[in-house]
Amino acid sequence: MSGTEHDVVIIGGGHHGLTCAAYLARAGVDVCILEGRHEWGGAVYTAEVTAPGFCHNIHANFMEFLHIMPFFADFDLPSLGARTIHPEIQAGMAFRDGRPPVLIYQSDMIEETAKSFAVYSKRDADAWRELKAKANMFELVMAAALYTPPAKWNQSESLPNPMLATQSSFSMFGLDEEMAFKTVRDCIDEYFEADEVRALLYRVAIEFAAPSLEWPGSGYFFLFACLFMPGCWRMMVGGTHRLNGAMVTACIKEGVTMRESSRVKRILLEGGRAAGVELVDGKRVLARRAVVSAVGLKDTLLDMVGAAHLSDYTRRRATHFKEGPDQVLGSVAMALHEPPKYKSARWDPGIDRAWYQVVGYDSAKDVLDYCRAGHCDRVPELPAAAVWVNSLWDATQAPAGKHNLTGWYFFPKASALSEAEWEEVRATYNDKFLRLYGEFAPNMTRENVIADYLHTPLDQERGMRMREGDFGHGAMSLDQVMGLRPFAGVAHHGTEIPGLYLAGSCMHPGGGVTAACGYNAVKVLCQDLELPPVWQNPRRFY
Amino acid sequence: MGMFDQGFDAIIIGAGHNGMALAGYLAKSGWSVAVLERRTEEGGGLCTEEVTEPNFLHNMHSNYHPLVGICPVYDDLELTENGVEYGHPDVQMGSIFADGTALTIHTDMQKTAASFARFSQKDADTWMRLWDEVSGYMDLMVRTLMYAPPIALNDITRALASWGVEDKSEFLTARLRSMSVAEFLDKHFENDRIKAMLAFHAAICAYQPHVKGLAVSYPVLLGKIANWHVCKGGSHRLAHALMRVIVKAGGRVFPQVPVTQIVVEGGRAVGVMTPDGFVRAHKLVASSIDVNQTFETLLEPGLVPERTRREVAEVKYQDASLFNVHVAMNGLPRYKAAAFDPAIDRAWILNIGFESLADFEHEFSLVRSGRLPERPRLNAAVNSLYDPTDAPEGKATGLLRVFAPFALEAGGPEGWGAVARQYGQVALDRWCDLMVDDDARSIVRRFATESPHEISQKMINYRFGDWMVGRIHPKNLLEHRPTDELAEYRTPIPGLYLCGASQHPHGYITFAPGYNALGVIAEDMGIDKWWDRV
Ligand SMILES: Cc1cc2nc3c(=O)[nH]c(=O)nc-3n(C[C@H](O)[C@H](O)[C@H](O)COP(=O)(O)OP(=O)(O)OC[C@H]3O[C@@H](n4cnc5c(N)ncnc54)[C@H](O)[C@@H]3O)c2cc1C
Ligand SMILES: Cc1cc2nc3c(=O)[nH]c(=O)nc-3n(C[C@H](O)[C@H](O)[C@H](O)COP(=O)(O)OP(=O)(O)OC[C@H]3O[C@@H](n4cnc5c(N)ncnc54)[C@H](O)[C@@H]3O)c2cc1C
Repeated sequence: MSGTEHDVVIIGGGHHGLTCAAYLARAGVDVCILEGRHEWGGAVYTAEVTAPGFCHNIHANFMEFLHIMPFFADFDLPSLGARTIHPEIQAGMAFRDGRPPVLIYQSDMIEETAKSFAVYSKRDADAWRELKAKANMFELVMAAALYTPPAKWNQSESLPNPMLATQSSFSMFGLDEEMAFKTVRDCIDEYFEADEVRALLYRVAIEFAAPSLEWPGSGYFFLFACLFMPGCWRMMVGGTHRLNGAMVTACIKEGVTMRESSRVKRILLEGGRAAGVELVDGKRVLARRAVVSAVGLKDTLLDMVGAAHLSDYTRRRATHFKEGPDQVLGSVAMALHEPPKYKSARWDPGIDRAWYQVVGYDSAKDVLDYCRAGHCDRVPELPAAAVWVNSLWDATQAPAGKHNLTGWYFFPKASALSEAEWEEVRATYNDKFLRLYGEFAPNMTRENVIADYLHTPLDQERGMRMREGDFGHGAMSLDQVMGLRPFAGVAHHGTEIPGLYLAGSCMHPGGGVTAACGYNAVKVLCQDLELPPVWQNPRRFY
Repeated sequence: MGMFDQGFDAIIIGAGHNGMALAGYLAKSGWSVAVLERRTEEGGGLCTEEVTEPNFLHNMHSNYHPLVGICPVYDDLELTENGVEYGHPDVQMGSIFADGTALTIHTDMQKTAASFARFSQKDADTWMRLWDEVSGYMDLMVRTLMYAPPIALNDITRALASWGVEDKSEFLTARLRSMSVAEFLDKHFENDRIKAMLAFHAAICAYQPHVKGLAVSYPVLLGKIANWHVCKGGSHRLAHALMRVIVKAGGRVFPQVPVTQIVVEGGRAVGVMTPDGFVRAHKLVASSIDVNQTFETLLEPGLVPERTRREVAEVKYQDASLFNVHVAMNGLPRYKAAAFDPAIDRAWILNIGFESLADFEHEFSLVRSGRLPERPRLNAAVNSLYDPTDAPEGKATGLLRVFAPFALEAGGPEGWGAVARQYGQVALDRWCDLMVDDDARSIVRRFATESPHEISQKMINYRFGDWMVGRIHPKNLLEHRPTDELAEYRTPIPGLYLCGASQHPHGYITFAPGYNALGVIAEDMGIDKWWDRV
């Protein structure tokens, strides 16, 4: 390793770590980033898990932040290979009895979405017109909230209160502030009446960072997951991992020293200060100015620093930080001869060209029961899923004329089942899904499937070191968001250990390919290390 | 700005190690360079995937890297500084025989000789003389025979003759050019198993022991018998390092951008078509993929001269591909044969099943007829022995390979779909049979297979699953590789060069085709050869 001493050492080469590295290097800092796996990007990953030539995004698929993501613009990632496609029909729900589908279009195609909702309810169509238009209008407010670190908290002050921001968001939308205290389900039910529309919104909500649909105080996630996000989803040409490719290229261009297959075992302290790291093979990489950790919270504080070096407060809060049960997914991948053709397409062929396709539910209640199963440590009996077939837009993701289906089951957290039980799920669940699938799309038979694969939450935990398989490295319940994420004492990215900073998804704003946790850490680091504020961009106010 | 707006001085087709190395040198020479790759990952044969379980790193293709420390590219491009780390196993190779005996090849040749001596003292002595000789002229041989454009076989023979080789060397003779590796071994060695061990080394380098004429290259191969290296963290890490070299020097690598056409204007290659449109090459296009794709698919027929077309259509591919079993294991295997030679437990590349030269003849003729050996002979390796980071703590990652037909007698290439899983189990069983009982029962966690057909689907330039991209045969080596006309890295189309495994010397992680193409390009384009230190 050329020089085992650097200004800043970053632990974890997921997209937040890469974000942090690129900006710091641009600020003139000598940065070294260490990734434990053989591959960069963490969950920004694509693999040929079914058959040769079929690219599956078994982790992140929907890139919903690229248009507001500072990293994307500031480093001109499209010129480095990050090409995107913005499918017109973003999400759709198909039905077993061939009822008309419910479709959500791109953000500014409000009328098209309203038309689809209107098949079931004029009122829902109007609600969408009003609420989505506001979401579009307030998008930059939402962006600023994502890309600004929570304020620093002193233990003598009262705790930061996430509800305040949520309440003001509802009032900005012209909705009752009380809604902030409600559940996501309450919000959906209050503004939308058709069962079909509710079912789609429930399902959309659980995957896009909404904590349990039925946890009070989650109103903000209704705004976020149901109103802001659908419509913004972009696909990476060639698979999500291509975004990583561009990010890595940006880092190399800026002069970052990058070392994969370099797993950090512990953070070295010198006089109480973070002074570097030690890898599993015993090598040491020293940090003159800071160690930034972009991996899980417990990994950083409890494993790498060690409980003995923490205050009681920090040890307690880190130990009891929650992963799951929301944000835990199982990924299904299938190599197909032909894409699914839904019964519901006879009413609106758009369902066959919807990107996020929800299959397996007959009612909103089905979706609720499905989520409750996961929360009660059970694999849902109803093997429903949300799936996408990227090859419909990007032929490079599958062999000529073939198709790559990937999708998500909402599963219980990794520790809910034993290894043997997960193996059983792996061996049987795709088949169950397929049998159900055929009732919604008759061509989805075994004969249509060339090969299939299931990635369990346990795989997720082991492979990416996402505890419990929680894709956000920590639950997004009210007690773990904004100024309380991961807990008040470290929400501003610095820790009680001088020179040690946090920059992963355990920080505000949590999971998702936002590049925000890394970017927000950069803002704090630029200040603390007195670096030029390279993150500023005259065309952006956050 | 779009990624292709400005065009590039050089466009390289295919991001394997050859294409990437060429790109690295050109970028460091001040050229703007883009490497376009059809797959989702850069690296080509430098491909590491978790095909069994998370954290078990399986090298899907190249696993044994033969030229670390010999090949000039590692130093020129500062690959170590860019993050590559190699392990050099002290027990390089081994054979486990059915009767419980074993042979081991060590980096310490005295130990190798001691292992051979248990089978034949005479052969052990012969081996030491042979080794001393080949290692003596290794540098010279590698420089002139690998890292330089091909020298015609006649010229080599003439040079050897005028040097008076037969007086000076016990092993080199002008007649090697008509001999097979097996004949060479029969001539100098007496013990079947020692011969099998040495022939196995040739076979895994794709030099089939019974092909006439290959003995001429065999001394060079033998000189590398103790130079097998394991790329720590998976072979793909070498691709990461190459990527860093290229990008640091201002170049770009774009995976998932298949080249669909080479565009020719005024008789000159001026760029390529991709699904994203035209990309201009201001100076040249270099293709690192197979010549069939390059001349039959990517170029319009009217642009390819008649002779080129005819000769490319006749290019032959290997008749033996590889069937691969990737294994997630609960620990390192312990063999019963360790009672005979404890070093076998640390041997990296294992021969299981080839016990005489006749076994190779038998195996390859079976393969040629499209049939699968009932008891597959294996080449097995557990990288975790020398790179524990390739598996979770205390666990291990294993690899089995079987020489296998691309097209099965029953079912053709697609026939593999029906038999792969079961044949993988057969191969595993044969391996486990050699382990101590506890291991044999419980060592395997999970396995995944890759058949020759799947290889050809994943890497379309490995036509017929040919990992060398062109058979290893006197008719297809040196000045004949891939065809007489195309052997010098240039093509009849100005501005179009060839720089991949189809070219001299051949496939494998040698960097040689890319390096040699670079030399030719430097001459044609007047690039200062900053890398040429001799
Ligand atoms: C199934 C699934 C679906 C998802 N879908 C979407 C989606 O559609 N849209 C979306 O926006 N988001 C999605 N996400 C979420 C998103 O992918 C993640 O929240 C995000 O990628 C996390 O980024 P990160 O950088 O914080 O962490 P990670 O991506 O987890 O990266 C952390 C990195 O640190 C490394 N590491 C861990 N420990 C060590 C160590 N000791 N030493 C060195 N390195 C270490 C890991 O190997 C890893 O590479 C999904 C996630 C999953 C799992
Ligand atoms: C099963 C197996 C085992 C092997 N074991 C070893 C080993 O142990 N040791 C060893 O040294 N070698 C081994 N090899 C051989 C080695 O991998 C190859 O010979 C070597 O990688 C060839 O290098 P290359 O750079 O010439 O081409 P490649 O590495 O094949 O790279 C060519 C690239 O071009 C891309 N491409 C193809 N068509 C197009 C197109 N139209 N547009 C854009 N890109 C395109 C391909 O996707 C590929 O990435 C093995 C191969 C296989 C299959």
